[in-house]
Amino acid sequence: MFNLAFENFNEIIDMDGHGIYVWSVYAIGISIIFISFLIAKKRIRDFQKKVKIKNAPS
Amino acid sequence: MITAFIHKFSSPKSFVNLTEKLYPFFIIIGVSLLVIGWTWGLLFAPQDAVQGNSYRIIFLHVPSVIFAELVYFFMAVCAVMHLVWRVKLAAYLIKSAAPIGAMITFIGLFSGAIWGIPTWGTWWQWDARITSTLILFIMYLGILTLHGSFSNLEKADRLMSILVIIGVVNIPIIKKSVDWWSTLHQPASISVSGGSSIDPSMLFPLFISVIGLGFTLISLGILSSRSYILTREKNKKWILDRV
Repeated sequence: MFNLAFENFNEIIDMDGHGIYVWSVYAIGISIIFISFLIAKKRIRDFQKKVKIKNAPS
Repeated sequence: MITAFIHKFSSPKSFVNLTEKLYPFFIIIGVSLLVIGWTWGLLFAPQDAVQGNSYRIIFLHVPSVIFAELVYFFMAVCAVMHLVWRVKLAAYLIKSAAPIGAMITFIGLFSGAIWGIPTWGTWWQWDARITSTLILFIMYLGILTLHGSFSNLEKADRLMSILVIIGVVNIPIIKKSVDWWSTLHQPASISVSGGSSIDPSMLFPLFISVIGLGFTLISLGILSSRSYILTREKNKKWILDRV
């Protein structure tokens, strides 16, 4: 069950011609999820910054 | 009594405080399980006898479509809580979950379309399963658009909840579409009652990927809901104290 399914690195990338489909799906999927995290974190940071500026003693 | 219980544990303040503590654990568990599940599935699981290596898309596609439906189901439960018990937090959670639902449904549709090219010879077919999933994606966008089109946010919350409940009818249609109609999409390979037709060497990494994506999406939901709650409750004292 834990034997590598491929002989070398090139086979991993190529996956018998299916590598382009498999790797592009994972690359795009992971990027979308990662960007969603960045957006959510940025929104929280921006809000905190805005409130701090608004309430800063003049 | 139920109403008192619900209101006690559903204040936005206690929700933010609790989820802030849970977030580091959820994100670590989620990402770790995804790394394990996907590494196992992509590199160690054997090649499929019929589909070759293209089947490895399953470790992202299946978890995505499972959560595309589960996120909507969660929103429907929140919609009932908002309409019946007037729980404010429930509406905030619907608004925060909808973009995540749209995002994960898009990943499910996109990964399925790419998978279709080597397997079916086409990236799209107006087949019952695919079409009902596309409708789910449009529902998510519709819910967000509806909420964004009202300046009165309380009214927007109520109408959004009603739309979520109307749209829930699509969930069993997605689930049963492969049984009710003869479709290009194959019937379910795993069922709660009937076991699985997938070999354990492929099923285990798939299971780990599902749990990993679940924790990751809950973590994203925590961030997304915190961001929305901060904006909605911006004039409350507890928010100013936190910042």
